[in-house]
Amino acid sequence: MEENLVTLTIDDIKVTTKKGTTILEAAKEAGIDIPTLCFLKDINEVGDCRMCIVEVEGRRGFATSCIQKVEEGMVVHTHTPNVLEARHVILDLIISNHAKDCLTCTRLGNCELQALAAKFNVLNIEFPGERIEHQVDDLSPSIVRDFNKCILCRRCVAACKNVQKIGAIDCINRGFESCISTTENKSLNDVNCTNCGQCIEACPTGALHEKETINDVWAKLKNPDTYVVVQTAPAVRVALR
Amino acid sequence: MPIGTNVTGKMVTALKRLGFDKVFDTNTGADFTIMEEANEFVERVKSKGTLPMITSCSPGWVKYIEMNYPELLPHLSTCKSPHQMFGALIKSYYAEKEGIDPNKIYVVSVMPCIAKKFERQRDEMKVNGLNDVDNVITTRELSRMIKQANIEFEGLEDSQFDNPMGEATGAAAIFGTTGGVMEAALRTAGDWLTGESLEKIDFEAVRGEEGIKKATVNIAGNDIKVVAASGLANAQKIMEEIKFGKADYQFVEIMACPGGCVMGGGQPIKNSKVRRDVDVRKLRADSLYSIDEKSVIRKSHENPVVKKIYEEYLEKPGGHKAHELLHTHYVERPKYTD
Repeated sequence: MEENLVTLTIDDIKVTTKKGTTILEAAKEAGIDIPTLCFLKDINEVGDCRMCIVEVEGRRGFATSCIQKVEEGMVVHTHTPNVLEARHVILDLIISNHAKDCLTCTRLGNCELQALAAKFNVLNIEFPGERIEHQVDDLSPSIVRDFNKCILCRRCVAACKNVQKIGAIDCINRGFESCISTTENKSLNDVNCTNCGQCIEACPTGALHEKETINDVWAKLKNPDTYVVVQTAPAVRVALR
Repeated sequence: MPIGTNVTGKMVTALKRLGFDKVFDTNTGADFTIMEEANEFVERVKSKGTLPMITSCSPGWVKYIEMNYPELLPHLSTCKSPHQMFGALIKSYYAEKEGIDPNKIYVVSVMPCIAKKFERQRDEMKVNGLNDVDNVITTRELSRMIKQANIEFEGLEDSQFDNPMGEATGAAAIFGTTGGVMEAALRTAGDWLTGESLEKIDFEAVRGEEGIKKATVNIAGNDIKVVAASGLANAQKIMEEIKFGKADYQFVEIMACPGGCVMGGGQPIKNSKVRRDVDVRKLRADSLYSIDEKSVIRKSHENPVVKKIYEEYLEKPGGHKAHELLHTHYVERPKYTD
């Protein structure tokens, strides 16, 4: 039994956990929260964005806590000045290539990038620079894709390709040209998308959202000649909170 | 309030405050789906029709099978999904009963799903040129409407769904989670196949988080092999088994989203930290099973509203009128390949 356990220290707290646990999970067990961005439990655990980096004593560079497994005697620090500075730079780089129209975004107040920017008190755009403007795809009856708000975390790709085995979207090109796209950049309406929307649930920002139709509902509610009936599905009543 | 709290009463109050003329429950529609689906299943068993029969209430799943396994479409139940059935009944039975011109009725469905936005626009989802459903909004969009109207949700008192289409069973409540449609259908099909009211109501084997749940249920001395799968990767595994003749199921439930509608693509988005710390699926599903458990009526065919509408209007499950309003057909869709 005991050989399956590992003891390590995270921010001066001793943690004993199962072998194979990641630093991120072990930290959680110790009541320590490490910020993440591309990480989505069971769906996208790839260590891409490096927001969750930590310092491990005796090692050069940073460890990516969402994929790095714990080791016996490891000494981890989750918020040294070096770690904080590096996370700030990562965030600055992502923000530099992200749309800045937060006030008119459907994820205002529920955006993981916005929450990180608030946490790190990002007050200026450190790396202004060229941006590629992408056309918004709103041809699908269900899903709107706005690549201008994409941060390339690949959570949507993992949901579509690995969880659902559809692969309607994927990451293409490299470097500055990298983007999440469909084959030949077709509309989601013209590829093998089933409209399940698991990509929207995975997206940390406003790059993917449903095609909103509530203005039509408001208009009908105000029309005295229309008898407006509403019905609610079983799963709605347990998800409003 | 914790994640997964059942807020039915507050939700109904909020919808009334938003100004809807009537607030009905899709769960009543789900009871009709069970009547039609269980009947279709019993008929297929008796007439040695195409088996396994596969459920058809998840529109993401329906589009998937139309694109990927068109040769298996005869396995798909011809039942429309609950909200489409219910929309068709509102514009026919209810309109007639209340003396309202169906052309003036606008049906809005609040759904945990964005594929429902696509489904309602399908040509097959019309009766006499009228859409069953005129607008589908997600749980998220309802939440936004409540905010826009400046309604303080948590402080709302509880209200009941409107009559005469507001009564629903516990069987309907569990439609929202993987395995729930199967369990609801088995309760009704079991009673019909045996001709008695069976005491067995809970089918534990099709509950829980696994992506594929197989079970053998003994009804009237016959073993019925069932499987409930959620998530399209799991659906694919079951379809491959059926396609290559390796499956001996009689009844298959598929939901496109992993975990079922509680984790649908239209549900309020929980950030990655919440999803790391809390099992959102379980909390929401447990809440649905608790609604079922507390329900006085837990079998769809015992719903008094359902019985009444069959007596007054639809005649019988699978009957002519029921077919016209509550059933549909499917099309083969091209699959994009590079």
